[in-house]
Amino acid sequence: MSFLQTSALTHQQKVKSLYKRGLRLLEMYLHHRHHFRYNAVLLRAEFDQHKNERDMIKVKKLMEDAEYQLWSNQHYQPKQFPDSPGGVAHGRVVVPPDWVLDYWHPLEKAMYPEYFARREERKAEYVKWWNSQYGEPEPAGDKAH
Amino acid sequence: MFVLSMWNLIFLLFFSFSFILFFSSMLFLNLSYSLYLSWNIFSWGSTDINMIFLLDWVCLMFLSFVLFISGSVFYYSGEYMEGEINLSRFIFLLAGFVGSMGLLIFSPNLISILLGWDGLGLVSYCLVIYYQNYKSLNAGTLTVLSNRVGDVLILLGIVWMINFGDWSFVAWLGSSNSLILVSALIVLASLTKSAQIPFSAWLPAAMAAPTPVSSLVHSSTLVTAGIYLVIRLGWVYDFWMNELLMILSVLTMFMAGLGACFEFDLKKIIALSTLSQLGLMMYSLSLGLVKVALFHLLMHTLFKALLFMSAGCIIHGFKGWQDIRMMGNMMISLPFISSCFVVSNLALSGMPFLAGFYSKDMILELSLMEELNLLSLFMLFLSTGLTVAYTFRLIYYMVRRDYVMSGSGNLSDGWGVMVKSCIGLVTFSVFFGALISWLSMDVNSIILPKSLKNLTLTVCILGLILGFFMSQSSYTFSKMKFSLMIWFSGSMWFLPYLSSQPMTYIPLKLGSEIMKFGDMGWLEYLGGQGISSYISNMSLKIQIMSMNSLKVFILILWILVSVFMFF
Repeated sequence: MSFLQTSALTHQQKVKSLYKRGLRLLEMYLHHRHHFRYNAVLLRAEFDQHKNERDMIKVKKLMEDAEYQLWSNQHYQPKQFPDSPGGVAHGRVVVPPDWVLDYWHPLEKAMYPEYFARREERKAEYVKWWNSQYGEPEPAGDKAH
Repeated sequence: MFVLSMWNLIFLLFFSFSFILFFSSMLFLNLSYSLYLSWNIFSWGSTDINMIFLLDWVCLMFLSFVLFISGSVFYYSGEYMEGEINLSRFIFLLAGFVGSMGLLIFSPNLISILLGWDGLGLVSYCLVIYYQNYKSLNAGTLTVLSNRVGDVLILLGIVWMINFGDWSFVAWLGSSNSLILVSALIVLASLTKSAQIPFSAWLPAAMAAPTPVSSLVHSSTLVTAGIYLVIRLGWVYDFWMNELLMILSVLTMFMAGLGACFEFDLKKIIALSTLSQLGLMMYSLSLGLVKVALFHLLMHTLFKALLFMSAGCIIHGFKGWQDIRMMGNMMISLPFISSCFVVSNLALSGMPFLAGFYSKDMILELSLMEELNLLSLFMLFLSTGLTVAYTFRLIYYMVRRDYVMSGSGNLSDGWGVMVKSCIGLVTFSVFFGALISWLSMDVNSIILPKSLKNLTLTVCILGLILGFFMSQSSYTFSKMKFSLMIWFSGSMWFLPYLSSQPMTYIPLKLGSEIMKFGDMGWLEYLGGQGISSYISNMSLKIQIMSMNSLKVFILILWILVSVFMFF
């Protein structure tokens, strides 16, 4: 293949993903449940029509046409879950990563002696587990900068 | 023992001040009384630097409304923002905002107006970026940069006003056309704060802020600061920018009304309705209807704050969803909140005898009595109809239609703090329109033919029918495809993209070029690093010379001999 493969999905996964995205698109356009349900059944019927197709060239063409149809009918304001990426409430509270604590000044660390002592023990345990799992790292030597 | 929480204390404090200020404003209005308080800060020769506060019925009434809404929002925030990590920051920012607003309201001179104006802009930025995600950051940057344009224009106005020796505009009451440029600069500055075209992009984006912030800042106080400033000037100067103001305000009204009809984010719909009403206020100012604009400003603060607070209760109940496509059936699950929501929406659309009716109807009928061109009148009434349309569309989606969201858990009103904080506002949204119009609005008689008198009601009914059909738009499956026109209308005519990306692309490109050939190029030799290495090299050479080296002695001897030989 001549282009970068960013995912390794089976055909089944691709079809299911397309179907789910199709349903989500119907939800964005059809705001009454009974309209959505009617059209969801029609969509399912379209998918079921070709579910036993064995000619992979035809299947690939159908998938491409369906993806194009999905893209060309995209909604100008997609419905996004609030806490998902792109949603209104996504990332409102940012938890600082653990390594930030390593950069605290010793006087700041001295305010929480038990916590940092336990943290050092946990770090040592983790390093020990890692080395037992994956082996000791090579010494850096001349390659260190 | 009755213990008051901090939120209750702030609410009681603000409410009591609001009460006092409101009745003081009525007294001042009745007695035609104004108080001009001046403190001399610095005096040198003939130059006096004074801190001045002007207390008249306008600023007392406006501040009473601001304090009442602020108190309700503080009380509301007690439950809405419960569990937030940075709560103390939120409280201080809100308090700072109210302080800046107070300074702006009481200031009759441009310097202290600038202090309040800049304070509002800065604090609103800090409030918009309260949540720590990229959406809030982008929204905050857009907000602060749009407001900064207005700050610069006011600064230019201050600079120009030095020519006149006094920054207080009350000193120029009844003057001639000498302050044309200053008034133009201030009116342009007010366009940025009040989000008129082309500065409208920041208001819907600022909905990334928490809902109490939107309720206080982006509906009632910050956006009305520009209108308030022009109102204060309106009693001093004649408007010579009326035509420009009318065009911009009408376009803003129309764009916002159209956008709200195709928008699905609840807070953005309310933001666009705020934009539309701000356009209406600017429109009435362009006609010279200063008192009526103030009336609509005051009524708008009440029902818009209520609308945002009800929306916040709804968003809270729906676990953070703001999309109206996922909402519905609120009249069963949230009866009290949906009542507040419907009352505020009806007041917004000018339902007879609610708060918005008195002010809005007055503006529309007075504009019919003016000698205006047909296009501006048509656009005004079209925008009014669109207001009713998106209002009823919103009411249908939220209150009337069937429940859509499955598995959302328990959805109920309860008698919580958020619900109780809406009681005062809903009462005032119903009664205050009539009260204020009877007490303070002495507008000339409105004489219109029957057809024009009924025009407003007709437009509202047509808007209602349009709103109903728009809410049923998903009925026909054949419409289920991407439409450029709907995208254009629903995206505010692409104004956010046009006013942000082209404006920033060239400066960013220029900045990167300067960075490459300047900062990382020539300035490496000519800047700090270069000078430092040059000095160290020179000092090394001087050190060598002072080390009594033989070569140096011979060189000096040779130079001296050459000089003697030539002279």
